[in-house]
Amino acid sequence: MANQNGQGLELVGLRKILGGRVIIDDLNLVVNKGEMVSLLGPSGCGKTTTLRMIAGFLIPESGKVFLAGKDVTEIGPEKRPSAMVFQNYALWPHMTVFKNVAYPLKVRKMSKSEIEKRVHDVLELVNLMHHKDSRPAQISGGEQQRVALARALVQEPDILLLDEPLSNLDAKLRVKVREDIRELQRRLGITTVIVTHDQDEALSISDRIAVMNDGRIEQFSTPQELYDAPQTEYVANFIGSLNRVTGSYENGAISAGSDVIGIRPEDVFFSKNQVPGSVAATVTLVVPRGHFYEVYLKRNDAELRAFVSSEVPKAGDAGFANITKALIYRDGKLVRTA
Amino acid sequence: MALPPILVLGIFIGLPIGLAFFLSIGYTGGLNEVISIIGQDVRGRDGKLFTLQAYKDVIADPRFAGDLKTTLIVSFVATILVLIFSIGVGLLQRLRGGKLSSILTGLSLTPLFIPVVISSWALYTFYGSAGLYRTIFNSFGLDIPQITSTMLAVIIGSIWTSLPFAILMVTSGFQSVPNALIEAAQDAGASLITIIRTVMLPLALIPIIIVATFTSIGVLGSFTIPYFLGPNQPTMFGVEITNFFTAYNRPQQSVVMAFIVFAAASGIAISYIWANFRSAKESGRV
Amino acid sequence: MANDVQPLNLHTKSMGVKAILVAFSIFMMLLIVGPLIWLALHAFVVEWLYPSYKPTGWTLEWFRKVFEVPTLVSAIRYSLIISPIVVIVSAVICLPAAYASARYNYWGRRTFLIMMFASNAFPKIGLFATIATLYYFLNLMGTMVGVIIVQVLGTIIFMTWIPAAAFAAVPKSLEEAARDAGASKFRVFRTITLRMAMPGILVAMVMSFIYSFDEAQGTYLVGAPQIYTMPTAMYAIVETYPIQVTAVFSILLTIPSVLLIGLARKHIIGGQLAEGFQIK
Repeated sequence: MANQNGQGLELVGLRKILGGRVIIDDLNLVVNKGEMVSLLGPSGCGKTTTLRMIAGFLIPESGKVFLAGKDVTEIGPEKRPSAMVFQNYALWPHMTVFKNVAYPLKVRKMSKSEIEKRVHDVLELVNLMHHKDSRPAQISGGEQQRVALARALVQEPDILLLDEPLSNLDAKLRVKVREDIRELQRRLGITTVIVTHDQDEALSISDRIAVMNDGRIEQFSTPQELYDAPQTEYVANFIGSLNRVTGSYENGAISAGSDVIGIRPEDVFFSKNQVPGSVAATVTLVVPRGHFYEVYLKRNDAELRAFVSSEVPKAGDAGFANITKALIYRDGKLVRTA
Repeated sequence: MALPPILVLGIFIGLPIGLAFFLSIGYTGGLNEVISIIGQDVRGRDGKLFTLQAYKDVIADPRFAGDLKTTLIVSFVATILVLIFSIGVGLLQRLRGGKLSSILTGLSLTPLFIPVVISSWALYTFYGSAGLYRTIFNSFGLDIPQITSTMLAVIIGSIWTSLPFAILMVTSGFQSVPNALIEAAQDAGASLITIIRTVMLPLALIPIIIVATFTSIGVLGSFTIPYFLGPNQPTMFGVEITNFFTAYNRPQQSVVMAFIVFAAASGIAISYIWANFRSAKESGRV
Repeated sequence: MANDVQPLNLHTKSMGVKAILVAFSIFMMLLIVGPLIWLALHAFVVEWLYPSYKPTGWTLEWFRKVFEVPTLVSAIRYSLIISPIVVIVSAVICLPAAYASARYNYWGRRTFLIMMFASNAFPKIGLFATIATLYYFLNLMGTMVGVIIVQVLGTIIFMTWIPAAAFAAVPKSLEEAARDAGASKFRVFRTITLRMAMPGILVAMVMSFIYSFDEAQGTYLVGAPQIYTMPTAMYAIVETYPIQVTAVFSILLTIPSVLLIGLARKHIIGGQLAEGFQIK
């Protein structure tokens, strides 16, 4: 099997059956060296299973896993050049922070002074030196998360795997930690695969995102592409917010038809004045969403939502609404944008 | 609400033990009067309230050294072997699973439901002169001696009766180690042996200590197993206490021996309480 | 998420390791069930002479023989009467205490459970020897009440520890939710707490029954010669009757326990018993 990508990760035709059910079928993915890739999807889509096959906890029924150009499909997790951060961190409760981080080096039979130095460095990196003698139970969730990260990084792995690393943190901390992770990943230039069900998380830290659905990758591209041109109806629905209308789209107007038309609320504009392509509309509901408002509009051809941040109308206002961009799907596939 | 069991234990365990303690140091009045008159060689009848003479008698008795040695060796060896077997079965069940280990775990529990009298008797017939054990060796042309009436038989019997509880405890200890903690070690590059040594055993330490405690205390004071399977002399304290009480009619000496066993058991019990305390501390409950 | 459902990838492919595992398993099975099967077979044989693998013949005669011996029949009757009483008495004494201790603070609970444990660390045989003094004084020697008390002493540890852990495992919020829904305190206890702790209580009752059914030393010292239960009768018959009779008697003595396994097997293996022996 040709491996175009000598240094990163390549998955070729992976297939996995668990409990008699096909979880993953013919999955292909190439991650470049130094790239950060998210596996994004709802629970049960097979993203964790994929990650566990990369780590070696699961052996695929068929297909191959290449890490840094080497076929590792048959190699157990203890021999793979990958390091994983587990969802619940999986810190050993009977060891101190220092011992947790030192463990991977200890089992590699490194010298004491070398271990001391590397653990020290990595704890410095994640800013945890002051907790090195604490037990996992004595530190906060965010700190535990950093210990888990340090334990993975200290191995200097070819690839870093993160399984829902932020799901156990509260909302505020989550944003900060994900930025820290991204910053660290860039600085170290380490190839990273992160599993998440949170699109915000995926969009904000990934170089590329693989949106997964039912054991397959629906689309694999940059966050911007994913948002601007979702190749399938599923992706369009999953990423961002979407007005979904059935009909036929022509010049900003919707008529009877069988296509699925996806319109982002930020591409819908309401104004008192008529502009080319706009259609008469009334405001039915205005919902404050923090730094913007969600405006429900009733046009004679469709009901649409728009995101508005200035000149907010009131419910009952009459005016005109126009659509600047629409995604048109046929049989779930993108056929054109207009 | 906690009162009834405390009351029952107080009257029927605390009081007798208290009385026994006073008897052992020479108090022969009150409720102890009858037994002091019936029994032979009771020290302290001369009116001295506090005397250690009965303890000195027991320790000076030529049987004592042999009994002590037998009791300690049997308890120690049986406990170690029970730990090895139960950890083996527990690890097999946790790390490998499968039909074989389920059957094994299931079978290991059977002695739990067999009265000790019967297990002792079954072991006696199995390892005795006409038992299957000798029959098997005989068919290979080996005429080996029976192992009943030896220390070895007592050890086998003690293992047999202690194993189900041990396997239950250790298995449940290993089962409660989350997969992720094992996989994290695997991911870090640890071999199976290293995982067992550095993750599985430390995380199941508390149940393992509980098993060690209960097994050693149980064997230390056991009667039925050594009575059926053990040698006549020297024997385990459990049997000797009974002999002194019923056969030799020397209640004070029998009580003294009970306190010696109790002292040993208490030492072990303290390690158990410490283990529980440590686990509570680790999980932040204290 | 799916982590704990998926199997560990620790399987070795080495035949040597596999062979050792299989050998270990077979050795353990033989060690455990060998003697039981050997004894049980004797109940059905005419005679079994060393060193033959086969008995001289098969028979059911011994079962009839057992029921012809009046002392054995009376022992069976005593056992079947005493053990249920012991279970009920110890449940009545201990369950409220177990519940109370589950709702104590940490130290109170520990002190209570450790007291129970300490009472168990004194060698039973030493205790039974010393208890005679008290029994003579209270006139309990050779009475049914005396035997029941001696057996209850041993069941207390099962009946407090295991249910205490089971009660403690019922989340307080579930009780509070039921109170909030308008249920009375007693109703909450009956329909929520007791219900959820039932498996633990069941295991405790099974263990107590088996202990009582099995108890020989105390029963012998306190009950003989007026009261013989099945295990104390066993001591006597191994010396006077042929091995086949003892084998039949052993089978009879094991039946109740085996029936109870079926009842509680799931919970015992499910960890209720192990849970009960950790002071949390």
